[in-house]
Amino acid sequence: MSQFAMLVDVSRCIACKSCSVACMQENCLHSSSWIRVRGRELLTDHLIKYYNPQSCRHCADPICLAVCPMGAIQRGNDGLVIHDIERCIGCQVCVDACPYSGMKIMTNGKVGKCSFCSHLLEINKEPACVSVCPVEARIFGEREFLIREAGLRIKNLLSRGIKAHLEGADKESTTVLYLSNNTSRSNWLVP
Amino acid sequence: MGLYIRPRSLGIISKPLERDDDLRTSICCLCNGGCGLKVSLDHEGKVQAVFGDRDNPYNKGKICAKPMEIVQTLYGPYRVGHPLRRINGKFERITWEEALKLIAQRYNHYSQENGTGSIVGITSKIGGSYSKLAHSIFSKLTGMANYGTGPICMESELKVRKDIFGNGSASSPLSDVIKSKIMLIVGNNCAQTKAGQFHWISEAKQQGTKVVVIDTRFTETAQMADRFIQIRPGTDTVLGMALLKIIINNNLYDQAFVSEYTNGFEQLAEAVEAFTLKQAADITGVPRNVIEELAEDLAVRKPGMLFEGRGIVCVNNAGASIRAFEDLMAILGNIGKPGAGIISHINNYGNARDLIPKKDVIKPDRKRSATALYQAMEEGEIKMVFIAGNPCVNWPDSRRMTQAIQGLDFVVSHTLFLDDSAMLADIVLPATHWLEEAGVQASVHRVLQWKDQAAATYAESRSGGDLFRQLAKYMGLETSYFPNSPQKAWELERTHNKSIEGITVERLRKTPGGVHFPCPANGQEAERLYESSLFPTPSGRVELARKNNIAIEYINVFDSPGNQGVSPEKYPYLLSTNKVASHYHTICQYSNWAQEMEKQPYVEMHPQTASELGLTDGDPVRLETVTGSLVLPARITFSVPRGYFTTQPYFGLHSPYRQTPVNSLFPVAVDPVGGNFANKNIMCSASAEGRAGQ
Repeated sequence: MSQFAMLVDVSRCIACKSCSVACMQENCLHSSSWIRVRGRELLTDHLIKYYNPQSCRHCADPICLAVCPMGAIQRGNDGLVIHDIERCIGCQVCVDACPYSGMKIMTNGKVGKCSFCSHLLEINKEPACVSVCPVEARIFGEREFLIREAGLRIKNLLSRGIKAHLEGADKESTTVLYLSNNTSRSNWLVP
Repeated sequence: MGLYIRPRSLGIISKPLERDDDLRTSICCLCNGGCGLKVSLDHEGKVQAVFGDRDNPYNKGKICAKPMEIVQTLYGPYRVGHPLRRINGKFERITWEEALKLIAQRYNHYSQENGTGSIVGITSKIGGSYSKLAHSIFSKLTGMANYGTGPICMESELKVRKDIFGNGSASSPLSDVIKSKIMLIVGNNCAQTKAGQFHWISEAKQQGTKVVVIDTRFTETAQMADRFIQIRPGTDTVLGMALLKIIINNNLYDQAFVSEYTNGFEQLAEAVEAFTLKQAADITGVPRNVIEELAEDLAVRKPGMLFEGRGIVCVNNAGASIRAFEDLMAILGNIGKPGAGIISHINNYGNARDLIPKKDVIKPDRKRSATALYQAMEEGEIKMVFIAGNPCVNWPDSRRMTQAIQGLDFVVSHTLFLDDSAMLADIVLPATHWLEEAGVQASVHRVLQWKDQAAATYAESRSGGDLFRQLAKYMGLETSYFPNSPQKAWELERTHNKSIEGITVERLRKTPGGVHFPCPANGQEAERLYESSLFPTPSGRVELARKNNIAIEYINVFDSPGNQGVSPEKYPYLLSTNKVASHYHTICQYSNWAQEMEKQPYVEMHPQTASELGLTDGDPVRLETVTGSLVLPARITFSVPRGYFTTQPYFGLHSPYRQTPVNSLFPVAVDPVGGNFANKNIMCSASAEGRAGQ
């Protein structure tokens, strides 16, 4: 079986936060969604603004797994990093360690994170966040396909003067790939 | 800080949602986007989750956060389950029969003693097609005057478009955008307000439609656009006029269309001479070359579409802006063709005619504008109000509205939640949610879609359809005019309205995505209006100028209603409201998830404005207008211009947010052309709150 992955396209995110709410609905979370959409804004010679949906990227070499004193985090052969809430003691060391803000502190004091909706994958369904995203800023599929798709999107963005790059495809490999803007828009007008 | 225990923390570990293979199909009734839904019920028959319907051609399984959030409000602590009566300041549970008897008796009393005009309905949220029809029959039988969503949402848009084209509805479906070459989005953040349908615009853009956004804020929609033009607040009319001027003076308009199908072109050409392009650039803040480039784009890229939003409708000079942009589309010939026209969430399919014989129809004995309603309540001219909605939060000068309602003799609230308005009622009646009511729902694609009842009726709640029929019985009115089910209601409506006669419930059920209207008895549906170039205006032509022969008259925002005579020294800034994706009207404030997405309302301001006021991000800021003041945390962003504040309008005191409604800061002032209340561009002052020495 070829490897599956998820592509998160920051250049397309419209901050509707549907993914974030779908995550809570699917995983029966009262609060503290495993995806949080954060706004970013910076001023160079013009304004750059984008939204960054933050969740676990399911790293090939997860730092959270390395720092967890209880062995509550395991990585499976399918590339998914799974957190065992029964073993978790809520020390939250992983929260600080994760560079992607992927670990969330839940209302019960323990830690929670994206499970990639592995229970849905088992029945051949895509993760809840992917199924709702109205602008295909989150897509699920075979890893090779997604890397090709990301390449096409980067080319397309470049043709409109927007430089973007793909995170997680080679070194620092992750199962959740991120297509991020690394430049500004050329059409911003200031009155 | 005392010790506190979170009961949920004691051992509860969340598990994924239980699978349900027996999903019910429904249509979302929130933003008129008309997204298809799949509803999952738990073993008790309660809604446990909402998904997108992959078979619906308009949203293709994609949804925004709002229909999911709604589930939490259905069974939450604010939901009303039983009729309540206020006795000595406290609510006591009564039966439906007691409640109806009491309302009927009071209604008849005021109607006989004080005239039919002493009773009004404030009915922005009356329910689905079944309830709407029953409500209109009831109003015809009793002479009850109603104030619906119009004045707080789209009155100006409806009226101006009706003046121009003869019909206030959208002329084209949103789905047409993929056939258009240019899409002009004005004052509309549809990436947030219609997120579930935004893929139409992003797909169009990928196929080469040029998306141009004109807005005061750098919105999420602007971020996605090919071109964003930031305009000074309240100056849209001038930009529209400048575009018209360039297009007229350079003969870039559709001359055949103008000469054959329009009236008033000369007046329009004269009116747009009011400003030179340099003046227009100075007023709007949009550089002259950008205006010229946009005009050229509009002339070259055809067909083109226009999608206006509340940003130019809910303002105090709305009428002129709407006319400028819609006239622009008309003279470009962008009407009645695939990929051309005006998109809107206004989708009236006409009213059922002759449902009641003339002898039984009672007209209200007094007519009042929405602004006059306040005074009529305050002066005791109005005795009783029937509320279906939340006017104490979403009508302007909310504090005044609240006091006016408090002063009435008798208030009935038919409501989902014990909200700010229901808390003032003498009788509270529990309403069904749209997931608990069957009916027809219109959408931004100019289609009607049928939904069956997806969930069991909550507790003792009843739909408006049932309520008005039963109330009519207690009032001694003829009840045979009322349908007794959503299916029968639609059948009645269909057979009394030629424009939807071909749309049967059976046909709707069989057609995913629904049926376009108008669709007369022959069953031929029309995807868009005016394809035959017949316009239902009195002249049969597009009316480019107003009846007074002045096509467009720009009023400076500072001289517009609500700002007239207000001291610019005392109130130097402008205050607006803007929408976010996680909230809709005042409904989603009862959802935990919505609250997680939007923890609390905040005021967006430019960094330089913040530094003028000595504020850093998160600091409390007091905003004050002539009608009131409010403290909110500051959110510093480059997305808004200097001297301009904007916040979110959804919240009330009787909700988990416990917020003074921001509408209490907006005066009771309407756009002079169209009659819309303004909830943007009102003069205000601002100061840092709660710090020593300031």
